[in-house]
Amino acid sequence: MNQWLDDRLHISRLNDKFLRKAFPVHHSFFLGEITLFSLIVLIITGILLALAYEPSNSLVVNTFDPGTATKPNLVPAAYHSALKINAMPFGDMLRRTHHWMANIMVAAAVIHMMRIYFTGAFKKPREINWWIGMLLLIFSALTAVTGYILPYDNYAYNTVKVVYAITASIPWVGDWVAQAAFAGKFPGAGIIPRIYGYHIMLLPGILLALTGAHMLIMIKQKHTQPQYAKRLAYKKIVGVPLITQQTPIMLVLALLFTGLVMLFAAFVPVHPVEFFGPPSTTPINNIKPDWYLLWVFGALAIIPSFEWHLFGGLIGAEFVGALVLPGIVMALMFAVPMLDRTTENQYYAENPTNHPVRLAAGVAFFAMMIVMSVAGYKPELISSGLLTTGNANTILWILTLLVPAVSYFAVIGIVRGIRALREADERESLAHAHADD
Amino acid sequence: MTRYKKQDPEITRRKFINVAMGTTAAVGTVSLVSALGTANPVFRLTPDKAPPVKGDVLVHASESKEGELIKVSDLSEQLVRAWPMGKDKDGNKVIRKGDPNNILALYRFPKGQIVEPTKLDVTVDGEIVAYSDICTHAGCSVADSDQGDGMKCPCHSGQYDPKRGCKVIGGPPPRPLAQLPIKLEGDQLVVTDFFASMPYPFLSETEWEKFKKEVEEQLA
Repeated sequence: MNQWLDDRLHISRLNDKFLRKAFPVHHSFFLGEITLFSLIVLIITGILLALAYEPSNSLVVNTFDPGTATKPNLVPAAYHSALKINAMPFGDMLRRTHHWMANIMVAAAVIHMMRIYFTGAFKKPREINWWIGMLLLIFSALTAVTGYILPYDNYAYNTVKVVYAITASIPWVGDWVAQAAFAGKFPGAGIIPRIYGYHIMLLPGILLALTGAHMLIMIKQKHTQPQYAKRLAYKKIVGVPLITQQTPIMLVLALLFTGLVMLFAAFVPVHPVEFFGPPSTTPINNIKPDWYLLWVFGALAIIPSFEWHLFGGLIGAEFVGALVLPGIVMALMFAVPMLDRTTENQYYAENPTNHPVRLAAGVAFFAMMIVMSVAGYKPELISSGLLTTGNANTILWILTLLVPAVSYFAVIGIVRGIRALREADERESLAHAHADD
Repeated sequence: MTRYKKQDPEITRRKFINVAMGTTAAVGTVSLVSALGTANPVFRLTPDKAPPVKGDVLVHASESKEGELIKVSDLSEQLVRAWPMGKDKDGNKVIRKGDPNNILALYRFPKGQIVEPTKLDVTVDGEIVAYSDICTHAGCSVADSDQGDGMKCPCHSGQYDPKRGCKVIGGPPPRPLAQLPIKLEGDQLVVTDFFASMPYPFLSETEWEKFKKEVEEQLA
């Protein structure tokens, strides 16, 4: 049969080119794979959910609590179908699996990018894949946001209201863009079908295409080699082939990982739509976005209020906090490969301590993200008595700038210490080696 | 590529293809952009989407009492949410909740506590005051602060003081909440005019004035 297939499909060429691709042996190289597995499980659970979901915000009678004939209990069809999914056997678990996988996919992608950044794997020739990775991160976040609007409970309603307001805050064109993106003035009759289209067609399509490109380029360029490969066989690709060694490892990892997440989904509840209830004008106290957008939320909470009028457009705190600031952060991340001046191709993963400035800048960046995320908890910090309404913004702003600066210099100091120790070790072993002669 | 460059008086194939591709891309982009226009549906101002107008009565917005007329005795220093209720062309009562930005916040404070810049002449005896309940920052519905100091928006912790014209006392909102002129007629709270200042989601006074005119024409 192999021969028959080979005659027609040239499996042996595919084998040489793709199926025998060498995978470096190091656990940090599994992070990208975990992101990929999450995407696959997300697509499978997403298809199952789509089979039972009703993408409409028209009002229907809530069959679980129909009210009276004169005063029927009307809820949006999307919300009603989320309740029905919860009532299905394992329906709630299916929703939770989808939710956890989405969170883990973003988390794995972020840690994967940290690995790439700290080991210098973004350097020439892999800049294009860093940029595609950035696009993947942005589109994953967009997919996630459109995803948690779909149950159309009160939480989703408030979320989409803020997202609409942020879109509408773009100077000059904001109103038009927001109405085009969300099917008319909020909440238009077509808002859920529109977002459903984004979440199940447009964004997954973009994600799949980008993932395909990401992996094809990775196969073409090969992984960066871990340091041991340099000692083992200089300038040779070292690792285990996809078929047959890496495949079982991948399968075990994928199944173990999925199993763990299913276990999570079975026991840890997330986003209880029944608790939030259908869309209403009653605000939800302490509403917050998912953790990967918390920093933007924090920035919006501590940014002072201002409005500039410029050529008939309005530039407000919301636009600057929610679009300009994240835009700058994203631009910085996009620019990472361009800040690197080496012109030679990079083959080996670098030891982060050999590049203290890059390491310290990365740590400072994450420190800032964390402080800004903590700023998202401003109301809680105030009600717990740690801060007061009067000083919260000032203190949080000082921390936003101070913590990254301190961590930058701390990292540089620690790395210097490590290097001093290492050099002392080398001198000592050299001296002893000499004495042995 | 070659050392000898061929002198060709005619357009090269490469150039032709490049120009053709450029034209196709340009035409394609323009047509896509025009098709994008269909993504933006037309807005029709129906009575349920109109803002509170003169003559509307205020009714409860909470789920259990929705549509019931608000009595003075229902009000206190705790926020009470209300919808304006008007009439459509056939004279049927219509709650204007088609636009969620119509939600209102009602308070009743002891006499003398409400001070400037609240417009006192359009409150009920300086005791009952009505505001738009939509935060001017990102359009969330504003609630009573759990700290007991006025109102707080749960979305990005904007804070307002309902006793002083809902001016901003903290957080990112750019403007105070718009005050709604009301009066007491019998035991009904009746709207006497449009919002005294521009409410969310308007960004400029001219836009708000234009919208007011449009509403007057539509509902006349």
